[in-house]
Amino acid sequence: MTDFSETRAKAPFIDRSQLIFWGVSILTAVLVIGPIAPIVIQAFLDKPLYAADAGATLANFGRLFSEAGMLAIFLNTLFFAVLTMVVAQVFGAVMAVLIGRTNLPGRAWFGEIFVWPLFVSNLVIAFGWFTMYGPSGFITLAFKSWFGLAPWDLYSIAGMGVVAGLSQAPLAFLMCLGAVTKADAQLEDAARSAGAGPFRALWSVTVPMMRPAIIYSAVLNFVIGIEMLAIPLLFGGPSGIQTITTFLYDQGINAAVRPEYGIVGAAAVILLIVVAFLVWLQGFLMKGSGRFVTVRGKASRPALLDLGAWRWPAFGIVFAFLFFTIITVFAGIFLRAGVSFLTPLVPFWKLLTTANFELIFSSANYMRSITNSIIISLVGAFIGTFFVTLIALVARRSEFRLGRPLEYLALFPRAVPGIIAGLGFFYAVVWLPGLDVVRGTIWILVLAFILRYIPVGFGTISPALSQIGEELDRGARISGADWWTTVTRIIMPILKPALFSCYALLFIHFFKEYVTAAFLFQPGSEIIGTTMLQLVAQGDNGPVSALATIQVIITAVFVFLARRVLGARIYG
Amino acid sequence: MANLVLENLTIRYGGVTAVNDISIDVAAGEFLTLLGPSGCGKSTTLFSVAGLNHATSGIIRIGDKVLFDGSKKTFVPPEHRNIGLVFQSYALWPHMSVADNLAFPLKLRKMGRAERDERIKEALSLVEMLPYAERFPFELSGGQQQRVALARALVYRPSLLLLDEPLSNLDAKLRERARVWLRELQERLNVTTIYVTHDQSEALAVSDRVAVMSMGHLRQLGTPKDIYERPTDSFVADFIGSSNFLAGKLVESNSTHNVVELGNGVRIKTAPGSAKADGSLVVAVRPERIEVAPPATDNTIEVDIAGSTYLGSTYQYAVDVGGGELRILTPHEIQPGRVKVRIPPEATAVYADRPGEA
Repeated sequence: MTDFSETRAKAPFIDRSQLIFWGVSILTAVLVIGPIAPIVIQAFLDKPLYAADAGATLANFGRLFSEAGMLAIFLNTLFFAVLTMVVAQVFGAVMAVLIGRTNLPGRAWFGEIFVWPLFVSNLVIAFGWFTMYGPSGFITLAFKSWFGLAPWDLYSIAGMGVVAGLSQAPLAFLMCLGAVTKADAQLEDAARSAGAGPFRALWSVTVPMMRPAIIYSAVLNFVIGIEMLAIPLLFGGPSGIQTITTFLYDQGINAAVRPEYGIVGAAAVILLIVVAFLVWLQGFLMKGSGRFVTVRGKASRPALLDLGAWRWPAFGIVFAFLFFTIITVFAGIFLRAGVSFLTPLVPFWKLLTTANFELIFSSANYMRSITNSIIISLVGAFIGTFFVTLIALVARRSEFRLGRPLEYLALFPRAVPGIIAGLGFFYAVVWLPGLDVVRGTIWILVLAFILRYIPVGFGTISPALSQIGEELDRGARISGADWWTTVTRIIMPILKPALFSCYALLFIHFFKEYVTAAFLFQPGSEIIGTTMLQLVAQGDNGPVSALATIQVIITAVFVFLARRVLGARIYG
Repeated sequence: MANLVLENLTIRYGGVTAVNDISIDVAAGEFLTLLGPSGCGKSTTLFSVAGLNHATSGIIRIGDKVLFDGSKKTFVPPEHRNIGLVFQSYALWPHMSVADNLAFPLKLRKMGRAERDERIKEALSLVEMLPYAERFPFELSGGQQQRVALARALVYRPSLLLLDEPLSNLDAKLRERARVWLRELQERLNVTTIYVTHDQSEALAVSDRVAVMSMGHLRQLGTPKDIYERPTDSFVADFIGSSNFLAGKLVESNSTHNVVELGNGVRIKTAPGSAKADGSLVVAVRPERIEVAPPATDNTIEVDIAGSTYLGSTYQYAVDVGGGELRILTPHEIQPGRVKVRIPPEATAVYADRPGEA
C-alpha cells in the first residue's frame, strides 16, 4: 500500500439522485393535492365539476348555512368530538399510569387487551357495542329482564361519545405509556431524596410529564371524533342525530340521485379547514415541549408504585372495565356470528348456526370483498412502505433543497379526514381525464389509502431514521457511494425493523379502512368495510357479524405473524 | 501523492460565518492538524474538504483536481473525491462485518473479488485487525473499531486522509499509544493527512504542522515548536499550553527588546512587540519558564508565596503582581514568604491585546 495517487475513474453521470428527489416530490404533491383541489373548486362552483358551463359562486356556503338543521349538525359534531376526546384522554391516561407504573396484577395482559380496539375499525367496534348494548342488545335485554331497566342509551350523543371515546382511549394510552415508562428514573429518585413519598413523586414529577402526550393525543382524538363515520352512522342514524360526516355521507351517496355537489363541497371545505386548524394547533401546543423531554437513553426504568392493599381491588375494577368495554364487545361479534338470533332469553347454544358464514362463503360478492381487502392490504402496504420510506429519506437524509417542504406536504393528509379523501378521489377520477383507468378498480383504493396513511408510515420511519447517525451516510458517501447507493445499501438495511413495523401498521390500517372507500368502491372493487356498511344499512346483522369475525381473525393472524416472523413493533 | 490547497475558503450558514477566509497549502505526505476549541470551525473545514458540507466561497483542490470553486460553482460530490475519512464515532456500518465494511468502497469501485480480498487483507493487517475480519462492529472494543474505521478509510487508497477527532472516544492511556501508532502508520504510508482535534498535546505530538483556529479564523500555522514557543497572538499563547498575561505600559521599544512597566511600577525587559496606541500591552510568559530565586538579578520581581497546588510532578503557585496574577510552575517546593522570581526576557512575548480581545 504505497501508491496513494490512484484516483477513481470519473464516469460522466446523470444524477439519478436528483431524478428520485424530484420524482418522489412530484408524486407526493399529486397525491396530496389531487383529491383536495377538486373539492375546493367544487365548493365554489354553481354546477357540478364536470359541467362545461359551471361558473364561480359563493352561494354554496350560503345554501349550506341556511340548510335546515345545519346548526344542530355542527353542534352535534362538536359535542360528540369533545366527549370522545375527554373519555379517551381520561381512560387512556389513567390506564397508562396503572399499567405502566404500578404493580397491578396482570398489567401486561391488561395492556395487551386494552389496545385491541386499535386493530379493528370503528365500524366493527360500533357493531359490537350495538350487538351487546344497543336497544335490543344482549346485555341491555338481560339488564331489562333482571332489573326492569337498562340505564343507558347508545342512540344518544352521550352514548355515541362514550363508545367512540373508549375505542380511541388506546391511542391516548399508548402515548402516555411511552411518557411514563420512559421517564428518567433519576428524576423521580431526585424527588424521593427531596422528601416526596413514592406516590407524591409519581404524581408531581412523572404525571406532569405526560402533558405533551395528553395534549398531542387529545387533539388527535378530537380530530378523529370529528371525522368519525361509523359510530354516528350506526347510533345516530336511527334517532336522527346527524354529524358533519354522516351529513356528507348521506349527501354524497345520494348525490347520484339528487346532485348536491355544491353543498357537499362547501361542507367538505369547512371540515377540511377545521381539521387543518386543529392539526396546526396540535403542532403549536407541542412547541416548547422540550422541557418535558424525558427520554435520555437511560437503561434504568423507574420503580413501580406499590398499590399495597389496593392491589386486588384495583385489579377487580380494571378487569371489570376491560371485560365490559372490550372483551364483551368482541365476544358479542363472535357470538352473533355463530347464532341465528342473539338473546339472553334463549341459551345461545340452542341457536347455534353456521348459516351466517355460509352466506358469506357462498356469495361471490362477499368473498370478493374479502380477497380485495387482503390484496389491497398486502400490496398497498408494500407500495406504501416503499413510498413513505422514500419520502422520509429524501426529506430527512438528502441534500435535496425542498426536503422540508416535502415533509410538510407528506404530513398534510393528517388534516384530511377519510371521508374527504374518499370524496376528493371520487371527484378527481370523474374530473381528470385519464384517471378513468383506475376508476372502480381496487387500485384507486390503494392510491387513496396510501395518501391517507402517509403520515402514519412517516411516524414509524422517521424516529427510527433519526436513530441512525448521519455519519453512517457520510461514511458511505466519502467511500464512493452516491445517494441512492447509500440509501439502499446502508440506511435501508439498518432501517429494516422499522420498515417491517411500517408495513404491519399500514397493513392493519388498510385492512380496517372503510370511510375512504365509501365513495370510491364499485361492484367488483368492494372491500370488507364497504360490504359491512351495506349490510348494516340493510339490517343483516348475522352476515355483518360473520364478516366482522373474519376481519378480526385475519387481523389477529396477521398481527401474530408480523410480530413473530417480522419482529414488527405494532402498538407496543 | 498529492497536496491539498485551500484558497480563501469561507463557509457561512445563514448569518454565521463558520469558516472565515482560510488559506492553507498542505504538502504531499504532510500531517497537518487543525486545532482549536469547539465551535472554531475546524470540523466544518474538514467536512467541506470531504464534500459533506458546502463551502460558500473559495477554492479546494487536491493537486490540479479542483473539488470546489465558489466562483465557478464547481462542486465535486463526496463520492467522487476519493478521500478517506475517519469519523469521531467511527461510523462503522452496524449491519456489515468488518470485512464487508472494507469491501463496500471496493465494490463501488468495481474491483474484482480476488483483488478486493487482497486489499482488505492488506489494510486489516496494517491496522493489526486481520483476525477480526468476520466480526461485527458491536463485537469490537472502541480501540478496535477505531482501527477498523482507519482501515476502511485507507483500503481504497485515497489521495487524502481526513481524521475527525478519531481518538477522542478512547481512554487516556490508549489515546497516547494510539497517536504514536497513527503517526507511524501515516509516515509509512506517506499519505497526506488532515487531522482535527481540540487536544493540544495530541496536536503537538503527531503533526508536521498545526493550524490553530478560533471563531472561524486561522490564527497561526506552523510547526508544533513554532506555535508553542512563538505564538503570534495572545489567543494562541493562551490556548496552546498556558500563559500568564501581565498588563503593562510600553516604556521603551527597539528591535531587540522592549522595556515594560508593570502595574506595580516594576520595569522589566521583554521580547520586542507592539503595543496599543496608548502604550498599553500584555506580557505573556509561561508558568514553567519563570525562575524562582535565580542566580541572575536582572528582570526580577519580589512576590509573596502563600498557598500552593500540588500537581504531582510539579507545584503550582499563584502570586499577585502588579497587573495581574502570576502562576508559577516549579518542580521544587517553595517555602512561604517573600521570594524573588525572574522573568527571562527571552521567555516573554508581547501582545497589544489580551486573549479574547484579539
